[in-house]
Amino acid sequence: MKLLKDSLLSIVAATCLCIPCAPSLYTQDLENAQLLNPSPDSWPLYHGDYSGRRHIHLTQITPQNVGNLTLAWAFQTNQNAQIKSSPLLVDGILYFTVPENIWAVDARSGHMIWHYNRPSKGEHIGHRGVAMYKGWLFFTTPDAHLISLDAKDGRVRWDKIIADASRGYWSTMAPLVVKNHVIAGVGGDLDNLPGYLRAFDPDSGATQWQWDVTPPAGTPNTATGGMTWMTGTYDPELSLLYWGTGNPTPVLNGTVRPGDNAHTCSIVALNPDDGKLAWSFSVSPHDTHDWDAVETPVLVDGEFHGQQHKMLMQTSRNGYFFVLDRTNGKSLLTVPYGPVNWALGIDPQGRPIPNPAKEPAPDGRLVAPDEGGLTNYRAPSFDPNAGLFIVDAHPSYSIYFAKPADGAYGWAGADYGLWGKGVIEAIDYQTGKVRWSHEVGAGGSGAGVMTTDSGLTITGDAYGNLLALATNDGKTLWHVGTGSPMQSSPISYELDGRQYIITSSGGVLFAWALPEGMVAAKRLATERR
Amino acid sequence: MKRLKGLRVVSISAAVALSLLAAAYVQEPIRAARQDDAASHADGSSAKDSGAASYAAHCAICHGDQREGILPAFPPLIGINHRMTDDKIADLIHVGKGRMPGFPNLQDGELAALLHFITSAEPESLAAGSGAKSKETSGLAETGDTLFQQNCAFCHGRDAMGGETGPDLTQSKLVTEDRTGEKITQVIREGRPDNKMPGFNLSNHEINGIIAFIRAREAAATAHPGGRRGVAVADLQTGNVQAGKQYFDGAGGCVKCHSPSGDLAGVATRFEGLQLEERMLYPRNAKSTVTVKLASGETISGILAYRDEFTIALRDSNGIYRSWPISRVRFTVNSPVDAHVLLFNKYTDEDIHNLMAYLQTLR
Repeated sequence: MKLLKDSLLSIVAATCLCIPCAPSLYTQDLENAQLLNPSPDSWPLYHGDYSGRRHIHLTQITPQNVGNLTLAWAFQTNQNAQIKSSPLLVDGILYFTVPENIWAVDARSGHMIWHYNRPSKGEHIGHRGVAMYKGWLFFTTPDAHLISLDAKDGRVRWDKIIADASRGYWSTMAPLVVKNHVIAGVGGDLDNLPGYLRAFDPDSGATQWQWDVTPPAGTPNTATGGMTWMTGTYDPELSLLYWGTGNPTPVLNGTVRPGDNAHTCSIVALNPDDGKLAWSFSVSPHDTHDWDAVETPVLVDGEFHGQQHKMLMQTSRNGYFFVLDRTNGKSLLTVPYGPVNWALGIDPQGRPIPNPAKEPAPDGRLVAPDEGGLTNYRAPSFDPNAGLFIVDAHPSYSIYFAKPADGAYGWAGADYGLWGKGVIEAIDYQTGKVRWSHEVGAGGSGAGVMTTDSGLTITGDAYGNLLALATNDGKTLWHVGTGSPMQSSPISYELDGRQYIITSSGGVLFAWALPEGMVAAKRLATERR
Repeated sequence: MKRLKGLRVVSISAAVALSLLAAAYVQEPIRAARQDDAASHADGSSAKDSGAASYAAHCAICHGDQREGILPAFPPLIGINHRMTDDKIADLIHVGKGRMPGFPNLQDGELAALLHFITSAEPESLAAGSGAKSKETSGLAETGDTLFQQNCAFCHGRDAMGGETGPDLTQSKLVTEDRTGEKITQVIREGRPDNKMPGFNLSNHEINGIIAFIRAREAAATAHPGGRRGVAVADLQTGNVQAGKQYFDGAGGCVKCHSPSGDLAGVATRFEGLQLEERMLYPRNAKSTVTVKLASGETISGILAYRDEFTIALRDSNGIYRSWPISRVRFTVNSPVDAHVLLFNKYTDEDIHNLMAYLQTLR
C-alpha cells in the first residue's frame, strides 16, 4: 500500500513540477487582460488597444535615429488585392488579411506559417483585419459571414452568418472582442437595408445581442442604412462600447426620409453586454452625401479648457472634427478641419446644420468635401504628449445630382468628384486649429497615421512614399519609396528587444527596424549604465 | 525490506518518467501553406483541358468561373476575341493593366492553351445573368443583351444606364437621335479614343443586336423611371447665358486665360452635358510646366511629368524625360489649372449653371 501511495504521490509531484517548465504548454492565447493592457510585444486588436489612439509608447526609434531605419523583411502575398488591414501581432505571429484571405506570418523570419482562403460572392472592396481571442481568430467575409479559425493553423471552427448577402449586405471590418463578446457589423449602400451591430459568443458563435441602427425597411418616412462599417472602441471603466454608423439610405435622396434620420451618421455608445443604447450623437443629421461617421472614435482622457474630461474625438467624413464627452455624448467642440460648404452652421447641440441648398439636385450642386470625404477608413492618431489629433485629410470638391427620376432606392442619384489632394493635418484638439500640415499629393493619400512617444508620426503619401515625420512640426525625417501608396494604417511593436514598424504597400507587408548592430549597441550601452 | 526499498526507487523513477512522457507535448508538424480546397476554381473542369486549368488557376478569381467577370470591378472575357487579337491578349496577360497583375511566366504551351480557352465559344448561360430584363427583349435584343454584357456592360452598366466610367446610353443624345443606327455603329466600331472607349470588331448583325438591346433599355427606362440615375444634357439647362457671359468676363476671371473665339471655340461641339461641366470646373488633362535650375546654372524647361516631395521630372522640348532629386535643384512650376481650384470656394451654384449656359453657346 505504501509503495502504491508513494508511486502515486511521485507521479503527481513529478507532473506538478513538470508543468511550469514544459515548453509543450506554450500557447498562442489572447486573454482579456492582454486586450485591456497590451504588452509592448503585441498588437492584439485592430487599433492596437481599445482607445483607438494608435499611439505607441515605444521609444527605440526616435527622430534622431529614424534616418537609419532599414528593411528587416518583406512579405509578398503574390496576389493583386491591396492590403488595407492592420495586422495583429500576438506571440510573435502576425495575422493580416485582404478580402477572403488570412495570412499568418512569423514576425521574426517574415515567412508564412499558414494561409486561409475562402472564395466568396459579395463586394470585395477591402478588409480591415481579424480579431483574436484566446487561441481563436475571428474573420468577416464579403458575403457577411463571421468565421472563427484556430490561430495555430487556420482551421475553421465555426462559420456564422452576420447578414443575408443576397439582400446586398457585406462585411469588411475587423471585429472587436470585448469581454466574452465578439462584435461585428455590416456594410452595403446599394440597397435600402437596415444597419446593425451584432455580438457573437466566442466559443459557439451564437448571437448574444443585436443593436439595430434604423427601423425596419419600409417603415414610412424613416431611413434605412446606418451601416456599421468599421471597428469601434471601448472604455472598460465606463463599460461602454463606442461605434460609428454609416449614412442613411436611399443615399442621395433625402426627401423620402425627412428629419434627422436618427442614429445614422452617428457616434453611439452601447452597453457591450446587451447592446442597449446609452447615448447617440448625430454627426450628420439628415445626411445626403454618403458621409459615414464610421471613422475611429478615439478615446482620450485629458484636459479640455482647464477641466478634466473623458473625451471621444472623431475626424469625420463630412469634414468636421468632433470632441464629445464620452460619458454622456455631449458636444465639447465641433469645427471643420478642411473645406466644407454644405452646412449653415452648428446647432446648440454641436451638430452641423445641413444646408438644403446643398442637397443633391437635378442640375447639380458643388459640394465640399467629395463623396469619399475629408477623411475615410484610414486611421488617425492622437498624441497625448503634443495634444495633437493627426489625420490624413482630403480637401476636395464634387458635384452631386439627384432628381425624382432617380427614384428612392440605393444610391438614388449620382455624384462626381472633381478635384482633391492629400494633406496630413495635426489638429490641436482643444481648439480645432491645424498646428501644422504636410502635403501628401494630388488626388489624396490613403495612408493611416500612427504616432510614437519618441515624437514620430508614421504615414504615407499618394506616390508610394512611406514617411516618418516629426510630430512637433510635420517635417519629413525619413522616407522610402515602397512602390504603391499605403492603403492601410501602420502598427508597431517590440519583439526580441527590437522595435518594428509594419506598413503595407500594394500586396506586400514591410517590416522596418533599426539595424541589428545599432539595436545591440543601444542595449549594451543601457546595460552598462 | 531492502528489496522493497529498491522497488520503491524503481517505481518512483518509472512514475517520474511516465509523467514526463505524459506532460510531453507532441509538436504537430508545421503545415506548409495550406490552401482550402474550396479555393480551387476549377469548377469541375477536367484537368486534361490545360487551358481551362490555367484559367482556373490564374484568372477565374477576378474574371469569374465562366469568364463572366465580376462587375463593376473586373470585366468579362467572353467575346474578347472581338476586341483584341491573340497577340494583344498575350501582351496583356504578360504585362497586366491597372489592378490586373502581369503573368510574365505564362508562355509556350500553357499560354497557347489559355488563349484558346479564353477566346473559345461562349457559354449559353450568360444572357440569363441579366435576369428579368431578358424577358422584356425580343430575339434580336436577346442576342444583343449577351453581347452587351460581354463587351459593353463593364463601362456602360448591365442595364446600359451608366457604369464605372461609361455614360448612361439611355440618355445619350447620340443614341436617342440616331434612328438609323448609323452613328451608333460608327462609335462601336471606332470607339472614342479621347474617352478611353475601345473599338469593337463586330458584325453588322451583332451590332444590330446591341442596338436593339439599347433601344429596349431606353423603352424600359421611360416606362419605369425609378431606375434612372444618370445626368442628362437636359438636366444642365438651368442657367442664364447672359449672366454666364458676365461671370466669364468678370468675377470668374476666366477671360484671363480663355477666349470664346480662341481655345474655347466650338467647345460645346466637342463636349456636352456632364462632361462639359466637369471639364469646365476642373480640366483634368491640363498640363503644368516647370523650369528647373541646376547647380551649374543651366536651366531646363518642359512639361511637368512627375512631382513628389523628393523627385521632380519633366519632358523637355525634344520629348525626353528628365528627372532630378529635389534637394539638388531649384525649380518653379506653372500650373494654370490651379486657377480652377481657387474658384471652388468662390462659385455659387447659380454661377456654375450660368457659366454652363454660356459655354453651351460656343459651338
